[in-house]
Amino acid sequence: MYLGLKEMWHEKLRYGLLSGVLLLIALVVFMLSGLANGLSVGNRQAVDQWRAKTVYLNKNANQSLAASQLKISDQTTVSGTHAPLANLSGTLRTTTNKLKTSASAFGTSRDSFIMPKVIKGHRINGKDQLLISAGLLDKGYHLGQKVRIGTTTHSVKIVGTYQTSTYSIAPTVYTDTSTLNRLKGSPITSGKDQPINAIVAKNSQFKSSDHDNLERLSITTFVSSLPGYSAEQLTLNTMIYFLFVMALAVIGIFMFVLTLQKSALFGVLKVQGIGTRHIIGALLSQSIAMALIGIGLGLAITIGLAQIMPAGLPFVIDWNAFGIYSVALLAAAVIGALLSWRTVANIDPAVAIG
Amino acid sequence: MTNPVLKLDAITKQFGSGHTAVTALTDANFEVNAGEFVAIIGPSGSGKSTFLTIAAGLQTPTSGQVYLNGQPLTHQSERQRLAYRFNDVGFILQASNLIPFLTVREQFKLVDKLAKRPFQKEKTEKLLAELALSDVQNAYPNQLSGGERQRVAIARALYNDPSVILADEPTASLDTPRSIDVVKRLADEAHHHNKAIVMVTHDQRLISHCDVVYRIEDGHLARTETTKA
Ligand SMILES: Nc1ncnc2c1ncn2[C@@H]1O[C@H](COP(=O)(O)OP(=O)(O)OP(=O)(O)O)[C@@H](O)[C@H]1O
Ligand SMILES: [Mg+2]
Repeated sequence: MYLGLKEMWHEKLRYGLLSGVLLLIALVVFMLSGLANGLSVGNRQAVDQWRAKTVYLNKNANQSLAASQLKISDQTTVSGTHAPLANLSGTLRTTTNKLKTSASAFGTSRDSFIMPKVIKGHRINGKDQLLISAGLLDKGYHLGQKVRIGTTTHSVKIVGTYQTSTYSIAPTVYTDTSTLNRLKGSPITSGKDQPINAIVAKNSQFKSSDHDNLERLSITTFVSSLPGYSAEQLTLNTMIYFLFVMALAVIGIFMFVLTLQKSALFGVLKVQGIGTRHIIGALLSQSIAMALIGIGLGLAITIGLAQIMPAGLPFVIDWNAFGIYSVALLAAAVIGALLSWRTVANIDPAVAIG
Repeated sequence: MTNPVLKLDAITKQFGSGHTAVTALTDANFEVNAGEFVAIIGPSGSGKSTFLTIAAGLQTPTSGQVYLNGQPLTHQSERQRLAYRFNDVGFILQASNLIPFLTVREQFKLVDKLAKRPFQKEKTEKLLAELALSDVQNAYPNQLSGGERQRVAIARALYNDPSVILADEPTASLDTPRSIDVVKRLADEAHHHNKAIVMVTHDQRLISHCDVVYRIEDGHLARTETTKA
């Protein structure tokens, strides 16, 4: 440890440069992690807020909410607490067209468990009322405003807001099933034949094996089949895994080259009774120190950048992931240093005497 | 008769086998007592370095036995031999054996760190003062003159109070006055601090300061009469 750290101190430039490389790798890992998490939240936040366990879709819908067509009456085939869900993705706009924002609109029964808890305004208690995600307030929407969704001329009134919620990277709005069907322009907007997209449920099963056109999905399956969700996460996570391999390779090669450069010195140390274990200890303390510097600065810079990032960037810090990735980078540094073990062990001290 | 500190008993060292075999040492017998300064002198390729590596436990002899303070060394484990070199042997090598990124003072601090004991500040300062190195204790090895570097190497070799010091051409990179100075200091350590010192050299001028001289030629080691009056 003393040996390793003293050398780093004496060779600040050399070890500083590698710390810099590790810093860049750590920074990219943390940024990608933040983006992956941001995209994940953007896609699934509303789903997470439902606190549901099961989603029923039309079994011909290929697990896609938008493609699934069910009827209110299909709810009779499932047990447990459940709620109808109708979905419409479109542009939320004021009647004057002054404000326009992409939004994911959900319709469910007024008292269902997935209807969000109002924090300002009041619950839906009549026709053509709309609750909006608190995130939309920043964009200029407010209570009492008349808005339209999609291409319809039908307008609804904002009566309340709830905690920020997004789905498919768009803020959500909620209304009752009939109102949503009116916004959609469905021919049937009341009664048990009303169209819906899904049934969202807590602990729930089919009541009998006769459930002709329904498919039961766990919430995890439902989330991973959200449009683009799995592909995005896989892409970003694969990039992160590659960066671990890069960190390992960079440290491994660096330590190996330095070991070759210093083999004469290591031979002398061995003559003096300072063995392989001490030498490897020095290499380890160096690579751990460099990794800690890189990870620490990488974290600090990521947190700093997160403050000044444009609001449109889906970047959300996930401390768990940051912790795991930090440990993984540290492990890469440790393994990278250990790769030189054999080389150090094979240095023959006899060559130092000659 | 006291027991020798280091004793090599009928050591033979062969490199390779069969047709291409080289015998670097043939039936070498050697001993050195505490307080004795021994020189081993011989031409290039005669087996001097081979002798030192075997005495240091860095190579195992083909046959024969090395004794340190009466204990056979040859059949010890790698780890025991490391400990032997760390604690009982001081090395002064031909090229500098100092660590380039540690100051003179830190060279000694490192030894204490490795031995897991607090830094022996007074001991270091006393040793450095004896070798006229007090002024350079915060310098790095590349800031020292060749003579200063060798003196630091001597101090480093003495630091663990080894029973024996093995010096491999310690004056090779020095001019005559500095060589004489280094050899005098080694003689001083042997005579006043009761160390056993073995110095390998091919420099005839230095042997006048030694108590015993061995000559080595073609792997044959022989004790000669001392040249000292
Ligand atoms: N590892 C080895 N493999 C094969 N032969 C070796 C090896 N080490 C030494 N020898 C041979 O043993 C003989 C003695 O070598 P040694 O290095 O002990 O000589 P030396 O007296 O130290 O020479 P110099 O003064 O040039 O350093 C030489 O012929 C050398 O070629
Ligand atoms: Mg030699």
